[in-house]
Amino acid sequence: MPKDREHDGVSVHAGFPNPATDRSLLTLDFNQLLIQHTVSTYMFRIRGNDWEGEGVFDNDIAVVDRALDPRGNDVVIWWNEGGGEFAVSRLQAMPKEASCWGVLTATIHQFRSFQREQK
Amino acid sequence: MSKNSVFALIDCNNFFVSCERLFRPDLDGKPVVVLSSNDGCVVARSNEAKRLGIPMGAPAFKWRYLFNEHDVQLFSANFEIYGDISKRITNLLTTVTPRIEVYSVDESFLDLTALGIRDYQAWGRTVRESIMKNVGVPVSIGIAPSKTLAKLASEIAKQHDEFDGVMSFFGIAPAMRDDLLHQMPVGEVWGIGWRLAPKLRAEGISTALALTHMRPQHAGQLMGVHGRQLVAELNGTACHPLTREHEAAKSIMRSRTFGEDTNKEYVLESAIATLTSQAAFKLRREGLLARRIGFFTETNRHKPGYRRWVRELRLGQPTADSGQIISLLVQELGQAFLPSQYYHRLGVFLYDLGNEDALQTDLLGKVSTSKHDRDAARMQALDHINTKIGKGKIYYAAERLAESWRPKHQIRSPRYVSSWSELPEAKII
Repeated sequence: MPKDREHDGVSVHAGFPNPATDRSLLTLDFNQLLIQHTVSTYMFRIRGNDWEGEGVFDNDIAVVDRALDPRGNDVVIWWNEGGGEFAVSRLQAMPKEASCWGVLTATIHQFRSFQREQK
Repeated sequence: MSKNSVFALIDCNNFFVSCERLFRPDLDGKPVVVLSSNDGCVVARSNEAKRLGIPMGAPAFKWRYLFNEHDVQLFSANFEIYGDISKRITNLLTTVTPRIEVYSVDESFLDLTALGIRDYQAWGRTVRESIMKNVGVPVSIGIAPSKTLAKLASEIAKQHDEFDGVMSFFGIAPAMRDDLLHQMPVGEVWGIGWRLAPKLRAEGISTALALTHMRPQHAGQLMGVHGRQLVAELNGTACHPLTREHEAAKSIMRSRTFGEDTNKEYVLESAIATLTSQAAFKLRREGLLARRIGFFTETNRHKPGYRRWVRELRLGQPTADSGQIISLLVQELGQAFLPSQYYHRLGVFLYDLGNEDALQTDLLGKVSTSKHDRDAARMQALDHINTKIGKGKIYYAAERLAESWRPKHQIRSPRYVSSWSELPEAKII
């Protein structure tokens, strides 16, 4: 039977079209779930074990949005002059002289990571 | 020509340096210099580095003592970050108005004519603050009735702290306008290059203000149509509308200067291989195929006996396959190569580009689509490996050449925004 080449290289015979080639099909999109503002969202890598009780682990990925104004109990990223590194803490624990780099909106924890091993 | 136009130029301050500082806030207030990754020349300077007198384009090795003495932080250009940040700014500006011309990686023109903005200064401040807050880099904004004036305004905004990064030629007192234009050397005006500036100064025109007073005929005699328009633009008549978004690449070129001049054929071969891989990768990313391919190579332009060779081929079947292009170009090199010559630079170019859909319309012709599909699948797998494992994992000898003359302490910052394994780290406190 002759192949129909018009469907993304998937061979299709006459009859019901293969739904996998329909580009309009909606799928679950993690960007949509995790990123409210693409322009202002950056990813960080969490370091430290002190928040394991709250479900945040060393090596987790942090989704950080600069567009949000930090308030209340927000978790924020700020530059720690003394340590010469970025710090994560509750807004209340951020020193007065520090300025907020962005608001942490989610962390991603992978139990079995298929990304390359982290250094 | 239009009298009622309103243009804004959004210009990132020391853009590459600002991108590096976004992830290294400790470098605020310190001299920072970004070097081209290819030949170690200065491509961006922080204000502190400018004040040390380090010129743009300077070769790093000539300035190494000053770098050491003043503890200047050196970075080699990390275009993955700069490109990402640039795209964020463009996206943000597009929400302000779709009438945008991305002029370069760190400059965009906006056409504000139809927006009905009352207070341009306030508008500019809002945009500037929004880019700072959302994206995280400082910009200067110039607003004026023409692109040339808008460009000048952004320069003024950068130079005079009292403008706070935003300068508008609307609603400014004529005396102040003249004063600002008088302070601006003629060579700083957009479109006046290093060749025109001395010519104008010889005529006694040494400032932007003097340029505005030029009679159109005089400007035309001295600088052609371009000069007449330039003077009109400076006087507030727009001659240049926004340029339409640049179309898909018409050609792709990658070139490299060798670490030292070489008469070794294998060095040229590996350079062809490396540069072709880069160029073909871009080709595939844009979904394009090249019908013509070629390379040029030349001896050192500054040495006697300068020579340049160009070879090109027209392919029977357009391709984006690195391997195929490499082998064809290496064959060509075999015929052109002269062991008596010391080669300084080599470039690979791909042009006569079309998209893959165009190939489909050729179906009935002599194009073999099954071969194309096989090639495409193979290249897709290769690109997948390259993006997944990380660039530079597989490299050719030629890429190593550059190492020998790179300053030792010059570093490329991590790929903070393009590699999951190089994200900035944040410590739980």
